[in-house]
Amino acid sequence: MPDDAPERRMTRDAALDVLARRRTDQVVVSAMTALGPWRQRSPSDRNLFNLGFMGGASTYALGVALARPDVPVWVIDGDGSLLMQLGSLATIAHAAPANFLHVVMHNGIYETSGAQPIPGEGRLSFAGMAREAGYAHAARFDDVEAFDAELDDLLSRDGPTLVELFTAPGDSFYAPAPPPAERPTPAVARNWPVVRDALRTD
Amino acid sequence: MPTVAQSIPAASLLQALLDAGVQDVVAVPDTHQRTLISAIEEHADLRFIQATTEDEATAICAGLIVGGRRPLLQIQHAGLYACVNNLRGLGIDGAFPIVLLAGLLGRDPAKAPGDDFGSMVRLAGPLLDALEIPHYLIDGPADLPHLAAAYAEAEARGGPVALLLGAETC
Repeated sequence: MPDDAPERRMTRDAALDVLARRRTDQVVVSAMTALGPWRQRSPSDRNLFNLGFMGGASTYALGVALARPDVPVWVIDGDGSLLMQLGSLATIAHAAPANFLHVVMHNGIYETSGAQPIPGEGRLSFAGMAREAGYAHAARFDDVEAFDAELDDLLSRDGPTLVELFTAPGDSFYAPAPPPAERPTPAVARNWPVVRDALRTD
Repeated sequence: MPTVAQSIPAASLLQALLDAGVQDVVAVPDTHQRTLISAIEEHADLRFIQATTEDEATAICAGLIVGGRRPLLQIQHAGLYACVNNLRGLGIDGAFPIVLLAGLLGRDPAKAPGDDFGSMVRLAGPLLDALEIPHYLIDGPADLPHLAAAYAEAEARGGPVALLLGAETC
């Protein structure tokens, strides 16, 4: 049983390092605070951004997984983000994509908005909810070494698989940038055609 | 001459979807389109993907487009109100060419939607206008060519196009 005391949780960056070491040709959808650190660790033309439609990372990834069952798809989700569209667990389990790994960073707070606690913190089990929704596999880790030791086995199985990682609360408060002088092309619009084109070359 | 919305047979709509090159239908169930949903579920060349919310369905469509597929977002007008943030974030900011088909459940077939007593019907068009999403009424079999045209427009403009289904399918 994982120990979910905040002071003993793994760091988000340590968890991302574990994933980055296994990253080959997977499409990876990352949400919110994981986005920047993931791009630094694993730059790729197969990184999709979940920006500006909070809660949508898992189903954005599901669409890719259903379009391309030959390509492994990972989603690096947040606890607050998943709670916003919790029904997606049932949707994903029902669609049952074998190529789908759902990683949930459970730090217990809405980190970007000032570290308010998520509802139900201390009682919620995302792995438990995924298992009961019908995911093929679900696991929880608070220790990064245990996660590292078991990830290869989890990746070898047909999904959908959900891995809940108890991570230490971070400090990624979102401060809006100054208004631009000209209307920019939003990051999501610049990002997805790159991934689409990369997948076309397969 | 009053407007009279005509019911469209599910088979005709299904053929229009196939003619438009649709491969996947991502849906939250809609009473208005239940005969069409049944026909899609039974058709070998269309994949039916069910979501629990319209926000999810919008994001699934976006992911399918990244993967090279041509999806249809099939919802009810109530779902249009429910998925405004994902339509904005993915459709407008993300420039995804999502085509959505929304049933105007409860519409008075003798009135234009903008004159309907029900807010759900009456405000659907103004909501899409506010989101800068082009929209077209499918009020009978003669309007079926709007389906293929919607995909061409969505891809040309880099953004969503909405089709509002005026009468219950038969």
